[in-house]
Amino acid sequence: MLLTQQSELLDRVPAVQTAGPRPPRRSSRSTARRLLALGWILPAVVVLAVFVYLPLAQNLGFSTLEWDIYSGSQEFIGAENYQRLVADPIFWSSLWNNVLYAVVSLAFQVFGAIVLAAIIESIRQDRWRRGLRAIYFVPSAISLTVAGLLFYFIYEPNLGMLNHALEAVGLGAWAQPWLGQESTAMISIIAMSQWQGFGYSTLLFAVAIQRIPSELYEAAAIDGIGAVRRFFTITLPLVREMTGLMIIVTISGAFQVFNEVMVMTSGGPNNSTQVLGTWLYRNGFVRNDFGYAAAIATVIFVITLGIALVQLWINRRRRVEW
Amino acid sequence: MHAQRITALTALGAASALLLAGCAGASAAPAADVTAEPEYSGTLSILTKFGGDPLGPYFETLAAEYEELHPEVTVELIQETDQSVKDKTKTLTASGALPDIYFTWTGNWAQNFIDGGLAADLTEVIGPDTEWGKTFGEASLSAFEVDGSYYGIPLYNNGKFMGYNTAIFDEVGIEVPTTFEELIESCGPIRAAGYEPIAFGNKDGWPALHYLQQLFAYNVPSDVLHDDFSPSTATLDDSGYVESLEQFKTLVDECTDSGNGTNGVLYTTAQEALAGGRAAMYYQEILEFDTVTAEGNALTPEHFGIFPLPVPEGAAGEPGSIEGAPEGYLINAKSPRAALAVDFMKFATTLENATILSSPPYGQPSTVIDAVTPETSSVAVYEGITKVNEASGLVIWLDTVTVPEVADAWLAGGEALISGGSTPEEVLESVRNASDAAE
Repeated sequence: MLLTQQSELLDRVPAVQTAGPRPPRRSSRSTARRLLALGWILPAVVVLAVFVYLPLAQNLGFSTLEWDIYSGSQEFIGAENYQRLVADPIFWSSLWNNVLYAVVSLAFQVFGAIVLAAIIESIRQDRWRRGLRAIYFVPSAISLTVAGLLFYFIYEPNLGMLNHALEAVGLGAWAQPWLGQESTAMISIIAMSQWQGFGYSTLLFAVAIQRIPSELYEAAAIDGIGAVRRFFTITLPLVREMTGLMIIVTISGAFQVFNEVMVMTSGGPNNSTQVLGTWLYRNGFVRNDFGYAAAIATVIFVITLGIALVQLWINRRRRVEW
Repeated sequence: MHAQRITALTALGAASALLLAGCAGASAAPAADVTAEPEYSGTLSILTKFGGDPLGPYFETLAAEYEELHPEVTVELIQETDQSVKDKTKTLTASGALPDIYFTWTGNWAQNFIDGGLAADLTEVIGPDTEWGKTFGEASLSAFEVDGSYYGIPLYNNGKFMGYNTAIFDEVGIEVPTTFEELIESCGPIRAAGYEPIAFGNKDGWPALHYLQQLFAYNVPSDVLHDDFSPSTATLDDSGYVESLEQFKTLVDECTDSGNGTNGVLYTTAQEALAGGRAAMYYQEILEFDTVTAEGNALTPEHFGIFPLPVPEGAAGEPGSIEGAPEGYLINAKSPRAALAVDFMKFATTLENATILSSPPYGQPSTVIDAVTPETSSVAVYEGITKVNEASGLVIWLDTVTVPEVADAWLAGGEALISGGSTPEEVLESVRNASDAAE
């Protein structure tokens, strides 16, 4: 195996200054090519500007307004909506729910998924391996809205499958209104989300593990190295890039949660399952407070932008090759 | 990303924000002339609350018939459900794309559109003294009256009643309760007979508010109650509120199978429990009477009875009041086809179309005089609308009568009360805080 760090290698290359021939003058042909390239790029730039960056700027503008959608009046109030955010306990509990979502998702959809992928890929029989991959992936093929509805009925206190199953195995005392009480509602939604996203992460890790040369495992087996040690010394280091990517994607996704919460609880009971996305929606579409909703949207954007920047930074830092 | 680029992007965003903020402002539009002779051409857009079965076909049929009468007119229907119409209306309002005709509740919901200049003043065409206005019950028209001007076209009336299965009551050997306390007492025998006493689903929060608003009307003096709807006059310190919250909690705990988990049950699941013969009672709107007794359901119209939520003993409010209000349509004040919109709504509220609306399978009791009769409507719908007409007062739904911040606090409070997360006093305190903040 050859591990190289490209950036370090590039750093070692001495800067050489030569008195070579002067660069050719920019010909009319190359100018035309540049204009042609610009022509190709321009539509994409315009589309991006109109549909991505302009709305972002608009949202930032809206967050500084007190906006009455009925009269259309918009009063500039500066950072007042952001000051309200700081003092809003439901904003903080929503943020906490997003953080909880991220932590649990990291545990299941990143670290749990690596372990499962490693186990599946260690199975020698092709048929079993493929079958298990498919079984774990199926929930990911179901839309979040449908999965949310499905679990809503599983959690239903009277007719739901979960309580009936608990009663059937003698654990009736554990049966409870999963989505109907503050103490269990959020974790019930998060559990559904793990079920839905687990297979997708596992599949991605399986693909990363398949890229690891089998000779490494064969050599380790000859040396008598056990499965656990193989996992920590070979698998885990060599899926580092995928792990980094999945961590970022998972955290970022946890701060954009919306569908499953809306379908299963709409943020209730008593706002206990509000996340930033649903709190934004509630303020905009229920309370008619679009300026405040825009401020929440800006916070979500800043958080996800921060995560994206970290991702870019990590991807540029180091690359593993063999 | 280079620091310079980030700075440039930030500057661009800030500049755009300031520019947008500076440019912000309402665009004035000429008031719609609703008295003009309609020009029978173009597309007429209508946002309804009749999405899905069994109501969906009503407006679709109306639209088709109107297009047949006026071939140059195309009717564009946006059919939403009770839940989704709220979001749709606000999205269209915020984006300045309100249709020519749009659904509305009474109370603060309609008031927002009227205050915002988005509802055309229809006084000259639907005022009580006009030809069209005389076809409606005056109380229904008044529900959309503000400072002597009439803005809404009340399409149907509505009220909330306890629907019950008479066969279960006979089997258990109980009478229709005459007090709230009797209602609670009846739950034990019904449960002992193997039925859920009162089916209740509060997943969306507002079903709890319907119970609460009726109990508030019974327990809180009506002038106090009405002052408390508006944050500018609200004190929310009457002892009737806490009594009502306690009574509601007792009902949830004693009479529903879900108990403190009711927040996890769909309203429609509860509705199906009554329709399927599994529950003895279910608190519902007149609009649902024909749905729970529709063909194929275990509950038949012959075994379906209704009674108002019984009044608690010693209640200090208005014992003859019923929760309910007409629901109707507004005409976009900025619509260039306002006269055509009025013409369409006149067509929708002819006695013939009003009668169809009031009859099964729709069962929406029209506000048009003589549309709801024992011959045209089901027994329960006729009985319900008669009781609404005879009520000493109508109390509008709690989630539409007050401002959204206060309604939202009631909603969260109702959920917290059910789950045991808050006491009645804590719920009232949170609503008081929301009302103070909204003042």
